[in-house]
Amino acid sequence: MQKMLSAENITVKYGGLIAVNDVSLSLSEGKILGLIGPNGAGKSTLFNAITGFAPVTSGKVIFYDQDVTHLPPYIRTRQGMGRTFQTERPYQELTVLENVLVAAFLRYSSRQDAEKVALSALEKVGLLDRAHQLSSDLNLARLRRLELAKALALEPKVLFLDEIMAGLNPPSLKEMIELIRGLTTTGISIVMVEHIMEAIIQLADHVIVLASGSKIAEGSALEVINDAQVIDAYLGTD
Amino acid sequence: MFDYISFFQNLSNGVLIGAVYALIGVGLTLVFGVMRTINFAHGDFVVIGMYFAVVLNSILGWDPYITLIFAIPLGFATGALIQKYILARIIDAQPETMMLATLGISLVIANLLLLIFGGEPQSVNVSYASSTFEIVDVKISIVLLLAGSITLFVIGGLFLILNKTEIGRAIRATAENRLGAELVGVNTKKIQAIVFGMGMALAMAAGVALIPLLFASPGTTGATFTLKAFVVTVLGGLGNIGAAIAGGLLLGIVEIMGASYLNSAYRDAYGLLAFLIVLLIKPEGLFGKTVKRV
Amino acid sequence: MNKHYILLIGLFILGALYPILPSAYITVGVTVLLFTGWASSWNLLGGWAGQLSLGHASFVGLGAYFVALGSTQFNLAPWWSVLLAMLFASVLSLLWGKLTFSLRGPYFSLSTIAIAEILRLVAINEGWLTGGATGVFIDTLPQPFGIDFFSKTTQYYLALVYAALTIAITIFIATRKFGFQMRAVRDNEEAAMAAGINPTAIKLKAFAISAALTAVGGGIYGIFLSFIEPHLIFNLLLSIQIALTVIIGGRGTIWGPAVGAVVLVVAGEFFRTTFAQANLLLYGALILIVILTMPKGIVGEYSHRLIRRKYAKNA
Repeated sequence: MQKMLSAENITVKYGGLIAVNDVSLSLSEGKILGLIGPNGAGKSTLFNAITGFAPVTSGKVIFYDQDVTHLPPYIRTRQGMGRTFQTERPYQELTVLENVLVAAFLRYSSRQDAEKVALSALEKVGLLDRAHQLSSDLNLARLRRLELAKALALEPKVLFLDEIMAGLNPPSLKEMIELIRGLTTTGISIVMVEHIMEAIIQLADHVIVLASGSKIAEGSALEVINDAQVIDAYLGTD
Repeated sequence: MFDYISFFQNLSNGVLIGAVYALIGVGLTLVFGVMRTINFAHGDFVVIGMYFAVVLNSILGWDPYITLIFAIPLGFATGALIQKYILARIIDAQPETMMLATLGISLVIANLLLLIFGGEPQSVNVSYASSTFEIVDVKISIVLLLAGSITLFVIGGLFLILNKTEIGRAIRATAENRLGAELVGVNTKKIQAIVFGMGMALAMAAGVALIPLLFASPGTTGATFTLKAFVVTVLGGLGNIGAAIAGGLLLGIVEIMGASYLNSAYRDAYGLLAFLIVLLIKPEGLFGKTVKRV
Repeated sequence: MNKHYILLIGLFILGALYPILPSAYITVGVTVLLFTGWASSWNLLGGWAGQLSLGHASFVGLGAYFVALGSTQFNLAPWWSVLLAMLFASVLSLLWGKLTFSLRGPYFSLSTIAIAEILRLVAINEGWLTGGATGVFIDTLPQPFGIDFFSKTTQYYLALVYAALTIAITIFIATRKFGFQMRAVRDNEEAAMAAGINPTAIKLKAFAISAALTAVGGGIYGIFLSFIEPHLIFNLLLSIQIALTVIIGGRGTIWGPAVGAVVLVVAGEFFRTTFAQANLLLYGALILIVILTMPKGIVGEYSHRLIRRKYAKNA
């Protein structure tokens, strides 16, 4: 099984604060990797470091055998990383379709081709009927799906989901889980940072647990959830 | 044979003018720190200060330095009102919107002044305008010395307020993190009005301090001052008051030295060139916090 | 976007007929058209890419001076001078952009004021090249095919073509990849980066195109004035007027600059005859009114509502 992504001994320091402390992980093709941990554990920082939105103090990020550690985010995207953002970032003056078009233009220069890809991404997430609505008029659940559509239109090899389940009501949560599950059949691999355990249990093949910047457990979802240290970390900070 | 006397003459002039520039810059950087926006009208506030001194001098015969006592509270009140009734309404829009609004305010002020006072440059006549004070053959203009002293006094007052009072603490908290400050109970709306008021007060004080030296003329004078204030804050670093002071002194020295030893016609350009160089090499300012993006 | 091109052609034809009116109206016509062109050029950078320049008079001035000096000092025909001006403007904007685009928004806007200031000082002080503060007077111009560039009617048509050209370029870019990339960078730079876009590269491209196009209008302006001096041309107020035209008309729209130009020039004429000095007060008041009540500008607010209504009807 090819290792498409590996983060080796990543440390991220801000001034004197160590946000991520010597964490390593790797992702195999077609798998879903879950990244969990209590608030402030450093999951988002690690996530940002891998995707290019936070600087790496030491360590390496290898993506398909290329060292991308210090490359800007847009180059990583061109090489096959696609990410969503925790706080939705729609291009508020543009419609839903236009939002996804921006992403589709990455791989397709012609308006017609890009539009086809964009429409297909919208269909996958179930937003096709809202294609011509202003993105600033969408509610939270739909904005989430728009984020996902924008990432999908990039035709990524690895999809990075940043707490995409947060704040969704039970029906929307179920829909989103099904959506994500459906994606893996298309050959995409996924890294997901999550708080919602149900999503992790249902989706993740492999889970890594962070607390206070360090990795404290690793294994299958069930193994990790029953690990005493993990329980301690969560309860300790609640 | 190097002319030491001229050199120290120029240096002292540069430092003193620089002090006034620092005063202007500090006001701008203070407002930026709390409101995260550049106030285009800042230079026009300075011009208001100048006219304020002119009016009180011609009607009541007051010395400008006495006018200062009134300029500061007046500036404060006006600034706070402007912030509360105009700028507060767009505080959550993109920063460029706020910037454009201050541009609008700048145009309104500059042209109101033009309407009221006409286009002729005006000044204040003080008996000591050309008096100098000598230290070892180096002549220091009394007026400049007074201007520099006022700056010291005002900035000192500002430092005391920021570091020793409750309000000062609240201001620093808001500048650091507006949301965080709200969460601990700071009324950030009030703080923003207060800080904008302080910015205007500082600008007016600078105007009053400068009037014996310069002429008050409307039109683009305000914009020139805003530009100088901006250069000061870039040299020092936006949001950092101590650095703004250093930036102001640097600008003053660069301008005077450049005008004396190089081509004096380009006097205004030296500051701009220094600003360019700093932007190129150290964009966060010589001492400032970073202004680069991710 | 075909309907936009059709509208443009229609307006062009109307515009071509305009000189039928008494000659007193031609100057206003030229002014509206030049502002439309400058505003559309500014719009590419300020409206579509979201970088507010307050120094576009720099490029107007470059165009005007290149044409003036080209004809008086180097015997260059205006079209060559304009091409050179476009080249110079692009290079200048690329260099300047490289320095300032990596900084936060306000820095860029303020630095554009600095460019114009520096150019103004250079124009005043380097008299050997630019004629200094006394300016340059264009006394002769070539007459290709017997066209008299000094005739106001000819200048009007030059301005008309210029305005139409800049709008056509905007329409062209609007539906293409570049148009979308610019707007993405404007609306959410981080999301744009995540979408594979290099924000600085996009801003530089927009700046260069915007600068070059503005310079073309500057060249026409130079011929129109036939006398150029630094204060008049590298004028902060002109920069502000150009920006204001687009802000009132609607940033990031296709027709906003044109609408803004008409509003500003016509209102300006009216205020100037009634209020003399205070017409600038008008600009300040206008900015505040627009920002507080219709931040998207006239055309912007209109099309915003149109999109909403269209969606609601079809939903």
